[in-house]
Amino acid sequence: MARETSTSELFERFNVVAKEIKDEYNAHLWLIEVFGKRHSYVAGCKEDSFLPPEVIYINKRFAVVSSDWDRIPLEKKEEVFSLVRDFCN
Amino acid sequence: MLGVLTKKERDWVESVIKDEEIVKYMENGRDFIDDDDIWERLQRNTKPDKNRIRDIIQKSLEIQTLEPDETASLLNIEDPDTWHEIFQVAKEIKRKVYDNRIVTFAPLYCGDLCVNNCLYCGFRRENVVIKRRRLGLDEIRKEAEVLAGEIGHKRLIVVYGEHPSTDAGYIADTIRTIYDVKVKTKNGYGQIRRVNVNIAPMSVDDLRLLRDVGIGTYQVFQETYHHGTYKRLHPEGTLKSHYQWRLYCHHRALEAGVDDVAIGALFGLYDWRFEVMGLLYHARDLERQFGIGPHTISFPRLEPAANTPFIQATNYRVSDEDFKKIIAVIRLSVPYTGMILTAREPASIRREVLPIGITQTDASTKIGIGAYSDRYTDQEEDRQQFLLGDTRSLDEVIRELAQMGYITSFCTAGYRCGRTGDRIMTLLRTGREAVFCKLNAVLTFREWLDDFASPETKAAGEQVLKKEIEEIKDKLPQNVYEKLLEYYRRIEDGERDLYF
Repeated sequence: MARETSTSELFERFNVVAKEIKDEYNAHLWLIEVFGKRHSYVAGCKEDSFLPPEVIYINKRFAVVSSDWDRIPLEKKEEVFSLVRDFCN
Repeated sequence: MLGVLTKKERDWVESVIKDEEIVKYMENGRDFIDDDDIWERLQRNTKPDKNRIRDIIQKSLEIQTLEPDETASLLNIEDPDTWHEIFQVAKEIKRKVYDNRIVTFAPLYCGDLCVNNCLYCGFRRENVVIKRRRLGLDEIRKEAEVLAGEIGHKRLIVVYGEHPSTDAGYIADTIRTIYDVKVKTKNGYGQIRRVNVNIAPMSVDDLRLLRDVGIGTYQVFQETYHHGTYKRLHPEGTLKSHYQWRLYCHHRALEAGVDDVAIGALFGLYDWRFEVMGLLYHARDLERQFGIGPHTISFPRLEPAANTPFIQATNYRVSDEDFKKIIAVIRLSVPYTGMILTAREPASIRREVLPIGITQTDASTKIGIGAYSDRYTDQEEDRQQFLLGDTRSLDEVIRELAQMGYITSFCTAGYRCGRTGDRIMTLLRTGREAVFCKLNAVLTFREWLDDFASPETKAAGEQVLKKEIEEIKDKLPQNVYEKLLEYYRRIEDGERDLYF
């Protein structure tokens, strides 16, 4: 099936969700594109707490990072992962 | 015949430059360096009054990029007391953005074959005294094993000549090879965690290839920003003679998704004030077009090279006093950027200028092809691009830094967790990156002291670590301090590569 969203749309939608999560749970979340060791920022929060970042790989291309995963409810996490997964399918 | 390209080389040279990947970034067919305008600004801003300088200082302290007229004013300061103040401010800005750490790295030269013929370069193709070779992947692996397993480096700048035998495909292979190296050390293991590259300008497609193997920073120096001088020093018909192909290579890298780029000028080719202005314009154009400025700025001075008389003949040699001013003005003009001081400079100069804004330096440096695994100790003119001013070991340099109160950092965390591009710009401009710098400096310094330090260096390093950890306890939230201590203990127990 042809991809229905462009990467820029994905990034815009991710920015919206990341802001919601920041406002509601005070948790910082950002999306990265994976190129070997290089994990380049593409969307989401530009600030974060000073705790170690935990990278959750969604697929070979994208991963989501946060230092505050424990503040985000399970269903909200799943919403974020689905957003990225759906884009890549 | 000497200096004549083979058919293969000629065909390759003709295939490299893509005009459409230059003109798209230009405005009305012009690049962003207007030589006359730069000179006019330098002349317009002579004898700046103290109030104006104070305003500029305040702007720099707010981590804002300066306007060209502001940098021109700084470059025209004559009063020694004002310069003294500028040096102090440069130091303050560096601390604010990067805290008390100095990152160390090593260069790794993979080949000295080159199709260019730059008058100032020991590797120019007509220089008969240079022994030409390209390292094979096994040789690259051996070099990386020494660097990561015996010296303890975690970050490299890998250097290649511009030649079809060291094209993007070869560079990608070398980077994969280096990243694959893992060497057992005294208490853990050694690995190169970030491979930065100093290479020729490339097309967007080639840059994507390098992005995909996970390069760190893409570093290219313009050498000189002055069009006329550039033309004179890079003979017509050579690949490097195309000023704009080089000037816009960082733009192409950013377009390709390599969002850490590094710029620089080779000081000694043209007037140093002009070159500082050129660096500022370069940073500003990257910011304007991509919102991302240079990850680092370099400002090497010309050093002697085998059979390269141009270097002795230049009229633009930079004095030690002016070198210090160059560093301070760059620090104030592009306050968020990293600044690299290399082992080109002798130890005495490094000691003097390091406090005024430097964030990165190299040590245990060897620039001969295959030099680390060959273990040669003297400099060999016929296998080096130029002669080094400081050949001290990493252990010696770290000990001196510790005695000066600096913590050495081997941090490579940022580009592995998305602190890149405009996100790192935000963190740098707000001073938040300094916190990560401090935390990761402590953890990586602990690793290095346990794995590689001599007893004397370890003793000096422990004092610095103690002070840094105390500062973290006093200044950062309790949960951050506790996490640091947890990671610190795990590293002492042999775990490696834990980071914030």
